[in-house]
Amino acid sequence: MSNKREREKRREQRLQEETKVASADRRTRLLQFGAGAVFLAIVAVTVLIVASSGGSGGDAGDIKEAGEVDSLLAGIPQENMELGRPTSPVKVFEYGDLQCPFCKAYSEEVLPQVIEGPVKQGKARIVFRNFTIIGPDSVPAGEATLAAAEQGRGWNYLELFYRNQGTENSGYANDEFFTAVARASGVKNIAKWNEARKSSEVADEVAKTTEEAKKLGFNGTPSFAIEGPGTKGMEALETPGSAGDLESAIEEAS
Amino acid sequence: MRFPSEATLRKLIAFVAALGIGVATYIAIADSGGGAPTCLAGGSGCETVANSSYSHIAGVNVAVFGIVGYIAILGTAFLASDLARFGGFAVSLGGFGFSVYLTYLELFKIEAICQWCVSSAVLMTVLFLLNATRLIGYAGTDGAALPEKT
Repeated sequence: MSNKREREKRREQRLQEETKVASADRRTRLLQFGAGAVFLAIVAVTVLIVASSGGSGGDAGDIKEAGEVDSLLAGIPQENMELGRPTSPVKVFEYGDLQCPFCKAYSEEVLPQVIEGPVKQGKARIVFRNFTIIGPDSVPAGEATLAAAEQGRGWNYLELFYRNQGTENSGYANDEFFTAVARASGVKNIAKWNEARKSSEVADEVAKTTEEAKKLGFNGTPSFAIEGPGTKGMEALETPGSAGDLESAIEEAS
Repeated sequence: MRFPSEATLRKLIAFVAALGIGVATYIAIADSGGGAPTCLAGGSGCETVANSSYSHIAGVNVAVFGIVGYIAILGTAFLASDLARFGGFAVSLGGFGFSVYLTYLELFKIEAICQWCVSSAVLMTVLFLLNATRLIGYAGTDGAALPEKT
């Protein structure tokens, strides 16, 4: 009887020890996994940071999508910053900032449909006006665009700038970048463009349209206004959510 | 070194994770309710951060990833097993790493700071520390946690 109890006791002790050893093993394994995970996380974060430190856009040495912009705007008359036939009854005003990422998104995702549609059909013209709100670099960027417009390449300049836009206020928007965009957007006389973008007329125009946008009650870019036979003068549209919204506003105004 | 009891750690983890869910949900709702996004004049850092191209990954607001992570961590706080200990540690480590990356973006790429994003980064850091303490202190105690035979 006592022998049996003894045996049971020993068996229990052995089991407890085995459990202890198994627990210790599992603990070691888990802590090893944990250390491995920490190592992987450090590698992943480092890779992410290194990958993102390379510029996305804003690279004067690598202006992209000039061909796409050219084919989007090909054959559409441009007069200053107006895009579309002068006989189009409706005018859509876009108040934008060249540094604004949402203006970029708008110009890439919403405006092409409007340009292919009502603008090419001669129903509407789009007029770009500077509303410089992002930072000091927005002003010379706007001036560079107006200077390109003097050579009939304003919209090409605007669209190409958006497509190569860098991070706002990161300093990418400098003379080197402006000049690279000017060349790639087909501005023929760079010396003349350089002179124009430093002129007081162009500077006044950028300041004037920015004031105008504030008077219209806008506080963000891109903001839109519309004018046509169906409107009472110039009416604020704010930011239409889609190309469809903008097209129906054009329909209503005509 | 004496560790706080696992029950205390689990309560703390659950509490901080719940706060995190609140913060991340607020950011996600504030972002989705904005209608057509615009770049705001003279806005605070949050608008700049929310408007930056870094605020969404594959069209999903980064705050949504945060909500998912906090919920997962909250889940692990309710379980007492090595799986939960390691899961909580792994998810909070991922969240902590992601927060480091996002804070780097705010400081050096977007050059604007959003206090809500910073709150989330702080909460995630606290969660990582709590979960690391829990793992180091209590990994492999599944067997010992069973009621002792008498």
